[in-house]
Amino acid sequence: MNPKRTMTLNLTDQEMSVLDQLSVQKDLSKTALIRQALRLYQLVDARITRGEKLFFEDQDKQKAELMVL
Amino acid sequence: MKFNKDRNWLAKRAEQEDRHFISVGGLISRIDPEWQADVSSMPNVETTKTAFVRLLQLARRERRLSLEQLAQRADVDLGELVKIESDESFKPTPRTIHQLAEFLKLPAKKLMALAGLLKIKDFGLQQASVRFAARSEPVEDVSPEEHAAFEEYVKFLNEQ
Amino acid sequence: MREKIQIIDTQTGESVEAEIFDEVALAHFIETQAEWRPVVLAAARALSQQPNQGFLIPRHFHWDWTRKEAELKLLAVKFYGLAYEGKLQGIMKVETVAHSCRLPEQQGKPMVYIDYIESAPWNIKKLMAALGQPQRFRAVGTRLFEAAVLQSQEEGFRGRLGLHSLPGSEGFYINECGMTPVGRDPHKQNLLWCEFTPEQAERYLAGE
Repeated sequence: MNPKRTMTLNLTDQEMSVLDQLSVQKDLSKTALIRQALRLYQLVDARITRGEKLFFEDQDKQKAELMVL
Repeated sequence: MKFNKDRNWLAKRAEQEDRHFISVGGLISRIDPEWQADVSSMPNVETTKTAFVRLLQLARRERRLSLEQLAQRADVDLGELVKIESDESFKPTPRTIHQLAEFLKLPAKKLMALAGLLKIKDFGLQQASVRFAARSEPVEDVSPEEHAAFEEYVKFLNEQ
Repeated sequence: MREKIQIIDTQTGESVEAEIFDEVALAHFIETQAEWRPVVLAAARALSQQPNQGFLIPRHFHWDWTRKEAELKLLAVKFYGLAYEGKLQGIMKVETVAHSCRLPEQQGKPMVYIDYIESAPWNIKKLMAALGQPQRFRAVGTRLFEAAVLQSQEEGFRGRLGLHSLPGSEGFYINECGMTPVGRDPHKQNLLWCEFTPEQAERYLAGE
């Protein structure tokens, strides 16, 4: 793997509990989970910048556009 | 990464690999006749397609238009525009190219050739397209160099 | 990342040192386009003319690699190259967020997804046989696949891996690599979705 740098992350109790919960659910370390989140954010942002839209489809095949800041 | 250093493991895995193809991802149904026609010119044909997409992206960004706005103004299908910019195998319809040419004030025939709808016989056009594709970036904001490359390419397309 | 690995030279039958790396650049894509495609096309033509071959053409045979350039900047995408004496012998693209596990026991967990894997045509025995030419190196695809499994372990995905196998490759991934065939994917040309659990990945790396 490529070299890495360390940083401190300040999270609220609520944020930390979500991070804990997701880590267990996804079977990932907290670092790996944040890394995944960053990758996803960049990917979505790159496609939206390109003019594409992000949609979620529910079980009834209804599509809803997701606003991404 | 801890790659396996055992020679027997490697020999066994090589044996397994040799018995198969290892392809993943997706299929195309047949060899495209155009693609088959002349293998030696293939990289050039691909580059003119790249030039076409980048020309479109730059023209849009120069005018500060979203894909949606461009679709509206040039009166073309938004879905098709998105596919042109994102799907490498997509072939646009002649109507769309015609509309885009009209809106961008570019010769429709050359645009069709760049988009892969007509066979390119013009060596100069190929050369100019390769140069343009090499000098423009697909994602970043329009740089002064890109702007100059864009202007030069548009001038070339309109000249001949 | 750049590491020395062994592949097999078919001329001597001995293993030789090659390099595997993740600093893939546009120049590598152009190399595949210019040097691999003509050979691949000639072999594909020869194969498709043979009766009862049922040869299906992988999508990447005519990918325009210059369009993949923008993806080099994405954290969610990683390319690996394998080179011998500076010449590209194989290339692979993996993704880490676009797909997650579908097997019930690991559903929704993150995985490394192999979107594309290809050896240079002169390293593919079946293609070279169709052209009546000798194969150059062996185990190039194996080393790339191994890198994907190792990445999954290093990422903390415990070796979980997924891919859509082409029909002619299902035997390789299921019987030789030991992946689980999960099901056909209607959203992806009905290709077979195959998956590694952590245990299967470990068995693959250990050679069982």
